[in-house]
Amino acid sequence: MPHYAKSEEWLRESQLILEARPTTTRITTKYAIKTPKQRKPKTDDDTPATTAAPKPARGFLTLKTYDPVSGVTLKYRTSKAAEVSRLIGCLGKLSRPMAGLPEQKDEVMTDAPAEEGTPAAEKSEAAATATTAPAAQQAPAAGGGKGKKKKGKK
Amino acid sequence: MGHLSNDEFFTKLVELFDSRKGKDHGHIYLTQKRLSYDQLPLPEPTSDTILPDLHPPRPLPVLIRATNGKGKENRAKKIKLSTVVDPNALPAFFERYADVCKAGMTTLKPRDRSKRKTKGKKKKTTIGAAGA
Repeated sequence: MPHYAKSEEWLRESQLILEARPTTTRITTKYAIKTPKQRKPKTDDDTPATTAAPKPARGFLTLKTYDPVSGVTLKYRTSKAAEVSRLIGCLGKLSRPMAGLPEQKDEVMTDAPAEEGTPAAEKSEAAATATTAPAAQQAPAAGGGKGKKKKGKK
Repeated sequence: MGHLSNDEFFTKLVELFDSRKGKDHGHIYLTQKRLSYDQLPLPEPTSDTILPDLHPPRPLPVLIRATNGKGKENRAKKIKLSTVVDPNALPAFFERYADVCKAGMTTLKPRDRSKRKTKGKKKKTTIGAAGA
């Protein structure tokens, strides 16, 4: 039962299993709210202090592709709100082979949530991807965005 | 339980998410799969098409389910929703689905903006320097 670190990998593998078994494969999205364990505040906690501390409940989103016939299970787990719309976009993409429709190539990934009203942040992201673009021409835009997120965290 | 229409499903799904707001525990399960029950039978497998479901003659609808994961002793509190999405309505459905989920999943970590902004500024200056 593999857990994937990247949603793109999960999406690709899920597409493959759906192509092979479109009738029996199902995708379950679990949204779980849990109370975080009480932990002693250790020093050197490298998570940014702004978000982690005051939250009373922590949510997780787990995407699972499961085919009961072959027993294949593919999972991806995240806790980032920023990923929700992109992941639902993935679900929409995966619904196409499920319905028996041909794959849509020209579909643009809806990455940054437009509703949150942060033109500045999005602009900076666009600029950031623009800088990386010449360096890695063939890297998809979504992958670039993801890398940026990780950099920001550290 | 019968299927809801897409609109009813979204109304109920918003209610389902709202019922978990402000709580510190709980689950919501969303499932999607091909609706193969109660459909016209697929053509018989031939030597060309051993698995007829790989290339159905017409697009099949997709079944979407949502539940709050209650069962057994909490059966009375169980909420079960389901709807059938036609193949041609899929893009519109998932657009709305994304909005509802985004609004409902409030306990996920918000994006950390403070650091990103400074980073973006730095990048911009480098672009300018490279361009000049």
